[in-house]
Amino acid sequence: MNDARALGEDVVLESRAVTKRYGATVALREVTFRVRRGAVNVLIGENGAGKSTLMRLLAGAEQPTSGEIWKDGRRLEMRSPRDAAAASIAIVHQELAVIENLDVAENIFAGRELVRSAVLVDRRREEVRGAAALRELGKPLAMRGVAGDLSLGNRQVVEVARSLECGAQVLILDEPTSALSATEAASLFRVIGDLKARGVAIVYISHRLNELLHLGDFFTVMRDGRVVGEGVRGGVDRAWIVERMSGRAAGEGETSDGGARVASDEPMLEVSGVSVRSGGRLMVAGVEVTVRAGEIVGIYGLLGAGRTEFLEALAGLRRMDAGAVRLGGRAVSVRSVPEALAAGITLVPEDRQRDGLVPELSIRENISLSSLGTFARGGWVRRRAEAARVREVAAQMRIAADDLELPVTTLSGGNQQKVVLARCLMRRPRVLLMDEPTRGVDVGAKTEIYRTLHALAGSGLSVLFATSEIEEARLLADRVLVMTEGRFVAEFSAADATDEALFAAACPRIEAAG
Amino acid sequence: MSERSQSRFGTVVLLLLKLRAVLVLGILLLAFSILTPSFLTANNLSILAKHVAISAILAVGMTFVVLAGGIDLSVGSVAGLAGMVAGGLLTVGIGGHLAGVVVSVAAALGVSVAVGLLNGLLVSELGVAPFIATLGTLYIARGAALLLSQGKTFPNLAGTAARGSTGFSTLGQSFLLGVPLPVWLMIAIAGVATVVAARTPFGRHVYAVGGNERAARLAGIRVERVKLLTYCFSGVCAGLVGLIIASQLESAHPATGESFELNAIAAVVLGGTSLMGGRGSIGGSLIGAFVIGVLADGLVMIGVSEFWQIVIKGVVIVMAVTVDQMQTKLQSRMTPAAPRGGRDRAQVAV
Repeated sequence: MNDARALGEDVVLESRAVTKRYGATVALREVTFRVRRGAVNVLIGENGAGKSTLMRLLAGAEQPTSGEIWKDGRRLEMRSPRDAAAASIAIVHQELAVIENLDVAENIFAGRELVRSAVLVDRRREEVRGAAALRELGKPLAMRGVAGDLSLGNRQVVEVARSLECGAQVLILDEPTSALSATEAASLFRVIGDLKARGVAIVYISHRLNELLHLGDFFTVMRDGRVVGEGVRGGVDRAWIVERMSGRAAGEGETSDGGARVASDEPMLEVSGVSVRSGGRLMVAGVEVTVRAGEIVGIYGLLGAGRTEFLEALAGLRRMDAGAVRLGGRAVSVRSVPEALAAGITLVPEDRQRDGLVPELSIRENISLSSLGTFARGGWVRRRAEAARVREVAAQMRIAADDLELPVTTLSGGNQQKVVLARCLMRRPRVLLMDEPTRGVDVGAKTEIYRTLHALAGSGLSVLFATSEIEEARLLADRVLVMTEGRFVAEFSAADATDEALFAAACPRIEAAG
Repeated sequence: MSERSQSRFGTVVLLLLKLRAVLVLGILLLAFSILTPSFLTANNLSILAKHVAISAILAVGMTFVVLAGGIDLSVGSVAGLAGMVAGGLLTVGIGGHLAGVVVSVAAALGVSVAVGLLNGLLVSELGVAPFIATLGTLYIARGAALLLSQGKTFPNLAGTAARGSTGFSTLGQSFLLGVPLPVWLMIAIAGVATVVAARTPFGRHVYAVGGNERAARLAGIRVERVKLLTYCFSGVCAGLVGLIIASQLESAHPATGESFELNAIAAVVLGGTSLMGGRGSIGGSLIGAFVIGVLADGLVMIGVSEFWQIVIKGVVIVMAVTVDQMQTKLQSRMTPAAPRGGRDRAQVAV
């Protein structure tokens, strides 16, 4: 720890030996974390390592069980997010916290409205100052635009503007790029550079190692509620991070074993001429694709490329305006989810909190949710048969749970994703559709999910997944299709799918400009 | 049809849908004035306005609660209780001492705020679902109203000059510039409420809490306090309505205000406020209250049976909500981005 202290002395915010307990669980153990002024302070760790807990403490949303938080040489006693704001600490949450029914100006000043004549909101001054803040960020959004109509990237900009507008000296960004397209992320990085130059301390949390290495000045790695490594730019590389994060040497489980498997020649899913309209726009424009039995096909594309709409249409969740689907050589109808399920097509949705899990139900109930019919006799669910089959699938998926009767919310993100996957597999589908198979899943669980999918494909399942992570497309798929503006514009074999090739294909405009 | 004229057509339809409450009100006024010549007379309009004032004042209080994502079922009972508190103090008093008009009115309003405070505490501090919490206080307030007089009416609230207890009837019966005082109260309350909702930090916090409670909390808005205040305000409005009715009748009945909460909610919904919170306006609720009032009085005047009136009211409410859904869909079809719908300041201006 001694060299870490010598790294940079301009510490603006610091947690000193902070411990946080929730009942018997210790989320943080004596964590000392320093945030340097005018620098990007990267915090890395798998899900459940304690990063988010630490951020909640620094943002005043929760209080430490023991230990202290210091800012500019003074001890802070924070009881609420208001206190953190008063101490010039702002946070942009992973699940963006814009208020959808208010407009941009109202969001920027929510909770800190500018007032004139003692009681009235000073709308004009808010618009002027809000517009100035957005201009500085290079995103002059309309002040009267409703926040709910903004893209995710622009919502994030609104939140950053909000933080700047209240004069934040410390800005915490929790997984800021997890929902952004590559272009949106690039413009965020530019903003971060500007903020840094102005002396703002950035705390940056992400799973994306390339991004972290590109941006970070100071690195702190957490594992199991402890700080397990600290480093500075230049002294840190990919292997250094992965080793500390996982507690094992880098490189393990990083390679695709797709090559070992050979898909059959028999086409399983044949899709032709599928078009989907949404919000008056043609999101999917006459798409054709064939997935063979035992083949894993990835669809890589930026946000809004139409990936989600395409998969949802195949799963019966969204109306197809045109198109035909054949399964195992026979035409099937997928006008509703039950029809798609009956045909053998099932979807693991993008947003598991919203569309995947029933938080009130146990792990077992979540897994058996869509196959209860198979355990029912005379209208009663045979609990024993259900429990046995659920145990079997849970073991196959390697779901790390002490007790399948616990609420599903007690599981980590990776294990929750396995629960959704287990539910889909329980119906023994012929085609598995996955939208962002590993969003919000830590590195270890990611590898396991890839391994499971490869094994399933080996036994004949066809997998079609959409992703916005190039690495995922490369590691998981046998074949990668690139989708742009509702069309497949390129196809690569797993071996040819380099970062540069995929990205260039997904952004034809950038290619033209370069 | 070309793309362009189609979108212009859509814009017109959307505008008509947005202004539907005003349109419906206009059509009702026109229809009733053709069907019964006596409908558009000053005398009748004055009576109508007095009826409307009752549900409009309740609806204004209710609008804040609903905008913040709650609901207040207790308003009818609170109106009844407020009337009984004032009536009891004026005619029976405490320990043989009769209270004056000002004290009685203040006490009645105080009790109403207390019920509102109880609602607010149950919802925001104890986390009870608003529907259940206010259903409970609906019964508690009604029971309390009945207990105050053992179920009897407090009559003769007008008071006598000899005892210096006159004046209570002013509230419900007097006129100012030829307009009934309750109507002035409605205008004043609605006016202040409109400014508060559209122009003050508190108003904006109400919309924020109803739109996304978690985000509002993270933005540093004191969510609990905002909710608490909306219920307190709704309580005051309900108490005022109870006092107006008792003053108009010069007597307090423990059953006053039964099912008034439903009228208030109907007015709020007709006015385009979403029961999910975060979208709507005071002006809309005011128009909603007028629609319900005009409909009720007009149907009586053209001689529609009381039972059919109830059915028709139900049909109008269901249609209003159906049209609201159509508007949301149309809006989302016309704006390609995520369909959320703003807080609709257009209706504040109405």
